[in-house]
Amino acid sequence: MPRRRAGAVIPEMFRQMLEKPSTQAYPYKQVKLPERFRGKLDIDPERCTGCAVCSLVCPASVITMVDTGTRIVGDRELKVRRPVFDLSTCIFCGECVDNCAFKALELTKQFEIATPNKSDLFMNKALSK
Amino acid sequence: MIEQTGNAVRKEESAGLMKYSAENLVPFGPIHPALKEPEYFKLVLEGERIVEVIPRIGYVHRGLEKTAESRPWVQNMYMFERTCGICSFVHSLTYGQAVEGLTIYEIPRRAKFIRTIIAELERIHSHLLWVGLMGHWTGFETLFMWVWRDREVVLDLVEAISGNRVHKSMNAFCGVRRDMPEGMEDRIVERMKFLVDRANYYKQIVDTEETMLERTEGVGRISPDTAEKLCAVGPMARYVGLKHDIRLNDPYAAYEEVPFDIVTRKEGDAHALLKLRLDELIVSANMISYAVKHLPSGPIRIKIPPIIPAGEHSSHSEAPRGEIFYYVKSSGGRTPDRVKSRQPTLANLPTALEMLKGQTLADIPVVLTAIDPCFGCMDRMSFVDIESNKKWTWSGEQLRQYGISKYFPERSKKQARTHSQPGQEVTSTKLCYKEEGF
Repeated sequence: MPRRRAGAVIPEMFRQMLEKPSTQAYPYKQVKLPERFRGKLDIDPERCTGCAVCSLVCPASVITMVDTGTRIVGDRELKVRRPVFDLSTCIFCGECVDNCAFKALELTKQFEIATPNKSDLFMNKALSK
Repeated sequence: MIEQTGNAVRKEESAGLMKYSAENLVPFGPIHPALKEPEYFKLVLEGERIVEVIPRIGYVHRGLEKTAESRPWVQNMYMFERTCGICSFVHSLTYGQAVEGLTIYEIPRRAKFIRTIIAELERIHSHLLWVGLMGHWTGFETLFMWVWRDREVVLDLVEAISGNRVHKSMNAFCGVRRDMPEGMEDRIVERMKFLVDRANYYKQIVDTEETMLERTEGVGRISPDTAEKLCAVGPMARYVGLKHDIRLNDPYAAYEEVPFDIVTRKEGDAHALLKLRLDELIVSANMISYAVKHLPSGPIRIKIPPIIPAGEHSSHSEAPRGEIFYYVKSSGGRTPDRVKSRQPTLANLPTALEMLKGQTLADIPVVLTAIDPCFGCMDRMSFVDIESNKKWTWSGEQLRQYGISKYFPERSKKQARTHSQPGQEVTSTKLCYKEEGF
């Protein structure tokens, strides 16, 4: 059994005083994010076909499909739908991105999304197309 | 005095607890909005000693199991991952394994190895967090700061592999969603070596440093028979010498292929738990190094249809805190018929109550931290001195300060802060409880 004493950590404390600080000067200095970081969701409206797979797999009810008009295919009239996103409930799991066959969705590295205005997190980019 | 505690006495009557007089009851808990696992302990004291503990649980019943019945299989994976903020991966892993049991697909070997690596990283992160908290509640802040700094090493690795520090979202049915990043092997092995060095140093510190020994040695002592009788799981079973580890008893993921030693101790007190968890951390770090070096090639995932065949299946696995159990039942639809999950804190609660008996009020933080629960119950303690009819309230921080001042009086004089009653001696049968919001 080793000797019992108070202040056993003091030598290590002096050694660590000479080391660099463990913290970073955020927000004055930009933090380095890893390659796979999962941040705010983004959509490329050009690529979206309105297939609605993303809205079926989303566990947090972020994605709602909205009718934007109709289109004629052959002799049939089909509805055109596009997703709108309420990012305030997004849990950043990336399931929608994995399931998008047309690579329209991606998780960006943007993480500073706190806002006093909830409507800032409402994304309807896909409707504009 | 009767007026003040009249309601309390009536409540105890209704709970069939008349054998204890109201003077000796101290409520402990239940709600603190900032933390996630509020529990309410009714403590029966004789002077400073705890003679009986009556728990009341269920304050954060979120209805996860019922919600699961109305959501598709894959959505439930992410919901169950959010059962816990520390051992999130192992919940989705166990739920995933239970669902995979209903399908005919074989899980790729590489996916099994990646699951093992992430699960062990999570174990290291959870154990480090616990050692830090143990330092905090015993008044050893230096250890707390150092350990939580070293924990960043694990969190950085988890973030680099999965993209998030806490909720990894790595699991999919029959595989994992992300492969290991290229060129990570050397970095992981090097970081694990660093953690093993640090864990060895902390083991030496907890063995020699007086603060730690004074507060943990002989605290929360329990016999192996009692632990076995009360069905303790995980570290709570291993610290009295029971060889209870699902990784060994019923291997899942790649635990059959990755060699490891089960760590047990015999002392059965809070100090043994500290050393046990640090030893387990070293074992986990070695397992990760081995798994990364022997990572097989091949696919990481098999895509399965969203409809799961009818049947029922259960799965269990070893979370950092003990055994996690999931049961699923399917009638061949898009949503489960029934999901049941059992978490280790519930299984360890009877053991914790047994540990609390015979301890002093000042040891409650240490004993309750020892089972590794969430600590929402600490705040909101009211004290009434019956003789002088004086009332005061202690927060968790003040209770911690009281614990430190009891064991190290000279230190607390220098550090005394935020004490509503600094140095107040709580002597025999002067405690009773004031009803406040229950």
